Amino acid sequence: MAARPRPSSDEAREALRDAMARLANGDASALEEIYRATRVKLFGICLRILGDQKEAEDALQDVYVNLWQRADRYDPTRASPIAWLAAFARNRAIDRLRTGKVRGGAVPVEEAAPLADETPLADMLLVDAEQAAQIHKCLGALDARTQGHIRAAFFDGQTYAQLAEAADVPLGTMKSWIRRGLQRLRACLEASEAA
Amino acid sequence: MSGPEQTPEDDVTRDDPMIAAEWALGLLEGEELLAARGKAATDPAFAWRKEWWDDWFAPLSDGIAGAEPSDTVWDGISARIAAQQAAAAAAAVSPETPSANVVALEARVRRWQWVAGLTSAAAAVALALFMFAPGRSPTEAPPAQIAAAAPMVATVPIGETGLRLDVTYIPESEKMLVAAIGLTADGVHDHELWLVPKDDSPLQSLGVVAPGEVRSMTLPAAVTAKLGNGAGLVLTREPIGGKPEGKEAGPVVASGYFKPVATEA
Repeated sequence: MAARPRPSSDEAREALRDAMARLANGDASALEEIYRATRVKLFGICLRILGDQKEAEDALQDVYVNLWQRADRYDPTRASPIAWLAAFARNRAIDRLRTGKVRGGAVPVEEAAPLADETPLADMLLVDAEQAAQIHKCLGALDARTQGHIRAAFFDGQTYAQLAEAADVPLGTMKSWIRRGLQRLRACLEASEAA
Repeated sequence: MSGPEQTPEDDVTRDDPMIAAEWALGLLEGEELLAARGKAATDPAFAWRKEWWDDWFAPLSDGIAGAEPSDTVWDGISARIAAQQAAAAAAAVSPETPSANVVALEARVRRWQWVAGLTSAAAAVALALFMFAPGRSPTEAPPAQIAAAAPMVATVPIGETGLRLDVTYIPESEKMLVAAIGLTADGVHDHELWLVPKDDSPLQSLGVVAPGEVRSMTLPAAVTAKLGNGAGLVLTREPIGGKPEGKEAGPVVASGYFKPVATEA
């Protein structure tokens, strides 16, 4: 972890980090600042996973209310507050998907009211470039089939059973494919950290 | 989720980092998900590995298009936070939060504070002894007896409510005390308590929690064998009556772990 590349000192990222720190110190007003800065990205994630506007909005509410309660869980020395928030939001959305009745992941992205590329938030929403390059590189080193399944799990919240059905293979086969892929992925990422 | 799968192709070692990866990707379901959450609450290495995967996977979310939520979302967030702040500040019944997605539990703050006071070790033990030996006044319990009992306590904070479940276990008595005072039944759900053994063996149900009550229960040997320092607890939201046979457990709404009661100085 310590070997993780440091982010470039981006002004917006620092502002977000600062707001997160203030929130952790009990300044509830910082939450609105965080919301304004991150809602588009986090809502995009919830919508992609849940595939339903209403569910995604409920999940988004949970994300920020939970954040307010648990802001102290964020470690400001970490690479990127937005990366942490993205994982936080995705975890909440997946929880909702696994425990609720929503179908999830089935709505095409086009229906998700995409924003224009020139959104002023776009800059700060980029997570650390080096880190991003590394995960893409390590994923890219996997065979295309495994890579596709891991991406489907990440982006669409698909379960092993759904992935196996879509690929028309036994459940055990799918699990084995993905686990082998994850094993290689871990080795690749750890090698990059050691470098 | 299926049981332990044994296929000829399942040749990859499913160690903790692997399970953490599956969890981070969102592949775990049902009791496996429960077990992972419980483990993360008690095993820092496992929790660290989950975050490690989360960190690495996070950049992938840059590939997801952003979207603008409707304006009502922020209104809902501020309303929920205001409600919780009010509940925390007031010594009265908390307002009906439209939120309560985590647990539909009403916060009776006064009584809750009373329960909070009980978690001081001596008080918890006194109450436990009182419950287990109703004929005897707690003040008669000699300190030596308290020390010999070496009770374990677990505090399980409940989601957004500011409430918590207090669980006290006295090894010698094989009895466990579950204090759910301040919690209110919503008429639709029950909450089921699960023991997460430290040895990664399957979760064991400790039964449905009785809202608003302090209940004493005798634990079977199979459970007490797994109940020690660091053993985890998770609380799940279930249909009335608890997890239906053959169904997956409901969402985890809270977790905690056992630790020994601090010795009085």
